[in-house]
Amino acid sequence: MAELLLKSIWIAPFYGLLGAILSLPWSLGIIRRTGPRPAAYINILMTFIGFVHATIALNYIWSIPTEKLVFHWLEVADLNLTLAVELSPVSLGALELVTGISLLAQIYALGYMEKDWSLARFFSLMGFFEAALVGIALSDSLFLSYGLLELLTLSTYLLVGFWYAQPLVVTAARDAFLTKRVGDIVLLMGIVAMSSYGADLNFSDLESWANTFPLHPLTAALVGLSLIAGPTGKCAQFPLNLWLDEAMEGPNPAGILRNSIVVSAGAYVLIKLQPVFTLSPVSSDALIILGTVTVIGTSLMAIAQIDIKRALSHSTSAYLGLVFIAVGLGQVDIAFLLLFTHAIAKALLFMSAGAVILTTSNQNVTEMGGLWSRMPATAIAFVVGSAGLLALTPMGMFWTFQRWFNGSWDTDWWLLALLMFVNALSAINLTRLFRVIFLGKPQMKTRRAPEVNWQMAFPMVSLTVVTLLAPLAPMGWNLWLSPNAPLLVPNAQVTQWAMPLLIASGVLGCIIATAIPRRKTWARSSQVVVRFFQDLLAYDFYIDRLYQVTVVAGVSLLAKFTAWIDRYVVDGLVNLVSLATIFSGNTLKYNTTGKSQFYILTMVLGISILLWSLLNGQWSIVTNYWSSLIQ
Amino acid sequence: MLSALILIPLVGAIVIGFFPDKEGKMSRNLAIFTALSVLVINIYLGWQFDTSVSGFQFSEYIPWLQWIGLNYSIGIDGLSFPLVCLNSLLTLIAIIVTDKSIARPRFYYSILLLLSCGAVGAFLAKDLLLFFLFYELEIVPLYFLIAIWGGKRRGYAAMKFLLYTAVSGILVLASFLGLVWLTGADSFAYEPLRSHTLSLTSQLLVIAPLLVGVFIKIPIFPFHTWLPDAHVEASTPISVLLAGVLLKLGTYGLLRFAVGLFLDAWVILAPWMAILAGISALYGASCAIAQKDMKKVVAYSSIAHMAYILLGVSATTRLSITASVFQMVSHGLISALLFLLVGVVYKKTGTRDVESLRGLLNPERGLPVTGGLMILGVMASSGLPGMVGFISEFLVFRGSFPIFPIPTLLCLVGTGLTAVYFLLVINKVFFGRLTQSLARLPQVKWVEHAPAFTLLFLIIAFGIQPSWVVHWSEVQAVALLTGS
Repeated sequence: MAELLLKSIWIAPFYGLLGAILSLPWSLGIIRRTGPRPAAYINILMTFIGFVHATIALNYIWSIPTEKLVFHWLEVADLNLTLAVELSPVSLGALELVTGISLLAQIYALGYMEKDWSLARFFSLMGFFEAALVGIALSDSLFLSYGLLELLTLSTYLLVGFWYAQPLVVTAARDAFLTKRVGDIVLLMGIVAMSSYGADLNFSDLESWANTFPLHPLTAALVGLSLIAGPTGKCAQFPLNLWLDEAMEGPNPAGILRNSIVVSAGAYVLIKLQPVFTLSPVSSDALIILGTVTVIGTSLMAIAQIDIKRALSHSTSAYLGLVFIAVGLGQVDIAFLLLFTHAIAKALLFMSAGAVILTTSNQNVTEMGGLWSRMPATAIAFVVGSAGLLALTPMGMFWTFQRWFNGSWDTDWWLLALLMFVNALSAINLTRLFRVIFLGKPQMKTRRAPEVNWQMAFPMVSLTVVTLLAPLAPMGWNLWLSPNAPLLVPNAQVTQWAMPLLIASGVLGCIIATAIPRRKTWARSSQVVVRFFQDLLAYDFYIDRLYQVTVVAGVSLLAKFTAWIDRYVVDGLVNLVSLATIFSGNTLKYNTTGKSQFYILTMVLGISILLWSLLNGQWSIVTNYWSSLIQ
Repeated sequence: MLSALILIPLVGAIVIGFFPDKEGKMSRNLAIFTALSVLVINIYLGWQFDTSVSGFQFSEYIPWLQWIGLNYSIGIDGLSFPLVCLNSLLTLIAIIVTDKSIARPRFYYSILLLLSCGAVGAFLAKDLLLFFLFYELEIVPLYFLIAIWGGKRRGYAAMKFLLYTAVSGILVLASFLGLVWLTGADSFAYEPLRSHTLSLTSQLLVIAPLLVGVFIKIPIFPFHTWLPDAHVEASTPISVLLAGVLLKLGTYGLLRFAVGLFLDAWVILAPWMAILAGISALYGASCAIAQKDMKKVVAYSSIAHMAYILLGVSATTRLSITASVFQMVSHGLISALLFLLVGVVYKKTGTRDVESLRGLLNPERGLPVTGGLMILGVMASSGLPGMVGFISEFLVFRGSFPIFPIPTLLCLVGTGLTAVYFLLVINKVFFGRLTQSLARLPQVKWVEHAPAFTLLFLIIAFGIQPSWVVHWSEVQAVALLTGS
């Protein structure tokens, strides 16, 4: 039985898809009598079945070796496209994570979206979303993963644009789609190129391909860079990071998925592409640089946000930046571990934030305060989620960083400094949020704030427990799959100093955030210098305005210019030709006067011109002939 | 059997033309019946068609004007079969979506069938001169369809279309005459002419007018300006046919004659053609961004997407040629769907102006189903996996990249821009709050959406199972490149 379930795990994406399709009658408004609830129940049921299936398969996979299921999809000319599914502890672990968080998020949505009139549409989209994510978790084919990433882009667009009547949502959905699309198109270029250079696009064969096909260094670098572009968009890395922040306008349950596992899906593909990045030092350097810039930039942006969701979403970019660095260094295991810890902790933080938002109908932290006694479960969830994200207490991220510095990898001082920076700023951000939301005196909007209903509380509490237990997962199960064996340099200086310094950075962050007078943590400062920096960070270093005046303005100018050329030059030329024809015709028609003298004159003139051109240059012959006659 | 595809619409057109019918109900039913029977015969032919052999099947031959070398000789092969199917499907859809209370119904349905007859004849012709005759035959009905049932500037648009396409026809004819004259062949039959032994210079001389002729028809920059005007002025069903079928005559001519007859010359010109395709794709895309009329956006996107076919044909690999045929089918389905939906919006709101429409997704008073279909159609056009647009474009790019990397990348950028211009339209027209002036829109019935759902079904089905289209033309693509 278990074996059968394992072999049939490839149907897992179809659970979500089936849920989405089955709830269409409600979302299209064909069935109105029952209200939209049945659609939600169907989707939750399908996700639950998928979760159970994944759990059984995951328990069984440890006893058997990794397998691949290959489906031949399209064979045309010399191209053979296969869709491969990988059955390994890693892929099934990812599947378990995806279905688990999706299940919790959907139950949560039942409470959060309770009063929304298009609940059914929301659940349809969630089912579709989940199907694509599950597919990515299982996929062993770059081609399939690309397709699924695109479907994720579509469902992100539709989910962010769920409340499409609001102006901010309209731009947010558009930007989310287009930003990701930029990355995806470049990724597609890379896939087309790789396929042309003989790769068969299966992740597991990439390594042997990378070793056997010597590419020109420049080509290898370009291919590597183009493959990075897709995940850069998906994981909201600089310079394609702003969509995630804007996407916070969408419904929160989708935000839970987006910030925890959707961004991870992009990174997951990136990790699987790691063998290609070894082809060229340029691409691994690019990964490290992109990651570092994002880590520093978004960590700083996060601490200046006053929107609770945006503060958290910037921190998502920062942690995904660490994943990029880990992949760039070739440390695949660490990258997986980072994704795992971050996904769970961030999902919990978003659930907590959603609870606050629903209860207070407000996302602005400056208008909150004193919620801890009113919403204890939410407060605990926030604390546990924060602890999971910081290397401070012995929870998720602590063990991840510990693995990074336990001597199995060649780590450098700059990496430690960077991690300390992230840890400290993250600590500042989360402590600041906690203080502003949960501590202090209640304000207008937080005075009457009951704890959320059970549909939201149940997933939140469950995930709190899961986050507390999460550190056990990497200890208990062997997720290691690095292509090259760890180095083991236990005596390096950095190894000995790493953990104490990281903990110190976390403590320092908490202290700083606590020490700032409470009002000062959000108020716009009256000092010009401080205000300048505050605004700089709060407005994301003005990157969006920079894009407005460069890329957006450039494209629209080019479009207007081309349209102008099209209208007045290309088409104008055509119209000019026709005008000239009509004009000359119109002019010439006045020659039909009916006077025979005029016609004869025209004829004589015409014949003379003809003769002239015929005899041109040969007049001597004519004159000679006539003169010979005269003589 | 094959002649039935040409004869049935012709007979239908004549019968409708002579049948007294004031209200147009009878003409409509007759037209639907005719188109349906053509579709059924087409499906039957597909049943009988052998995809494993190359060359023409179901060939028919009747001697006609032998003293000028013209014979009625038709046949169908892997290149033309998908297009003939597309034609019969879209003709049926065009008739169904026609307004029931259209003016002069007999004339309308009659020449609509004649248009379809011309297109199918051109796809089936095995004789160069016969192809030309059908190619010209299709122009006249289309001229009337735009000039009589078109929009405000229909006279201008129809005349522009007529002049452009007539020039295109003359150039194609000049090339055919030149070929026969230079080779000294005694007829215009296609297959014998393929084994000609013209020198490269003469081949280049003869192919040049042919290329300009088909570029006008496809259309490729800078010969495209008739298309946006024609689309904007034409009514919805005519736009569907124009984009879905008639443009394909150009790309079909390119494949069948430019590649099929002058392979040596084509290979020499191909690098330039690939660059032209890249330019055309980017040009169409950036023009589309600046448009305010929804129909113009779709029209310019047609220009961009047809350019991919030129790219695929330029590369002349087995994959790229097969993919080009696939892209023709895919573009036919997708652009037809988009024109249908824009037509619905226009019919219900009375405008296509992007600036004055807003919030049409509103579930109670807007056009939610149209909006949902439009989002899917737009996604199909911008190459979302799971739909036919993605895989056809992917195959074109994959087939062309090894030969022409830079033009392929240019076209890929064009694909990226597709999302930009269509998303701008979607965001402005369907998202946001419904404007008060549009607050009382007439409801769209489910039946009215049946054609759009059919197209969407095909788009998704072929996107998931592309071999259903690809396997028709795979063998013939090889035969086209290896000579007869």
